[in-house]
Amino acid sequence: MSAASDTGHDRIALLEAIRSQGKEWGVLAPKWGCNDPDPPWKFPLAGTFEALSESGALPSLERRHAEDELGDSLYKDVPPPESYLLTLAHTMIERGLLAEGELQQKMQAVRSRLEEE
Amino acid sequence: MTTATGGHDHGHIHPPAPQVEEISDYSVLEIALRELAIEHGLFTAEEHLHFTEWAEKIGPASGSRLVAKAWLDPEFKKLCLTDANAASKAVGVDWLDPTGAGTPSDYTHFVVLEDTPTLHHVIVCTLCSCYPRPMLGNSPYWYRSTNYRRRLVRWPRPVLSEFGLIVPPEVEVRVEDSNQKCRFMVMPMRPEGTDGWTEDQLAEIVTRDCMIGVASPKPGRTADKHPIHKARHPVGHEPKPMGVAE
Repeated sequence: MSAASDTGHDRIALLEAIRSQGKEWGVLAPKWGCNDPDPPWKFPLAGTFEALSESGALPSLERRHAEDELGDSLYKDVPPPESYLLTLAHTMIERGLLAEGELQQKMQAVRSRLEEE
Repeated sequence: MTTATGGHDHGHIHPPAPQVEEISDYSVLEIALRELAIEHGLFTAEEHLHFTEWAEKIGPASGSRLVAKAWLDPEFKKLCLTDANAASKAVGVDWLDPTGAGTPSDYTHFVVLEDTPTLHHVIVCTLCSCYPRPMLGNSPYWYRSTNYRRRLVRWPRPVLSEFGLIVPPEVEVRVEDSNQKCRFMVMPMRPEGTDGWTEDQLAEIVTRDCMIGVASPKPGRTADKHPIHKARHPVGHEPKPMGVAE
């Protein structure tokens, strides 16, 4: 984690790096002439929300409160659904469901896999 | 016929629809979170697939069908208004097990709110974003925004007007606040000009926004617009209370 903000939540360097790129779907889709209104990960993300709630790891109500808090503070400049995704990652790290370092490593592994020729 | 590249060939070539040809970190983050959650045993891949398919499948069609049926069948309308959970089964929705795998947050008492010539309903969830998903599908982003949730209960008419819905002053506007155990849906009034219409025709004009209460059905209107307004203090209304953010 990185420096604390004045919101009661620590900023998370990995998520800050993603946020600061500004590569939301609303930017990428028009750039590539794509007419899909939502990113392809929208429904898989919804599936993750439901599955986490069903298992009790992160109940929906608690996640929604986190979306309010973080969406009004650290991720205020990020539109949905990207803000929901960042909030989910942030909340899972804060709760110790996963560590920032392992998330970073997993992201590198996923990217390598997706970019494999 | 299937081509070697997995496409299909029926005598002409479709240009591929433009796609986003770069992999954003948001895409990567979603996959990474999901895979780590599975590796940590928070849920299984099968559970995730089941909920993802459910999220893709739901939409406002069930609610539209329920309203259209009620407009045509007074007995069914009565059932909707007295036992909406039971009426929902007629359009394929079981509120006690909406996903087929249980979703505690959606186990709920469901209520259909009937609009009349003197009463207009609109729904909100001031606490979070409770929404009758089994009946209306996933909530639109604006419904989940703090802007809509905070402002609708205080200034319902100005907020409705931002959606293009002007409610006459003689019509009462009632805002129903959803919660974790009770969900609402609006049954709008059947508009003029629809005499003799079939259930299918009627269902087409009962859009999601009509069942939220931010629009009214009318012949020819079969799709919702998506106005997104910045928070602003409506002119001619009470001053913003101290300490209340918008």
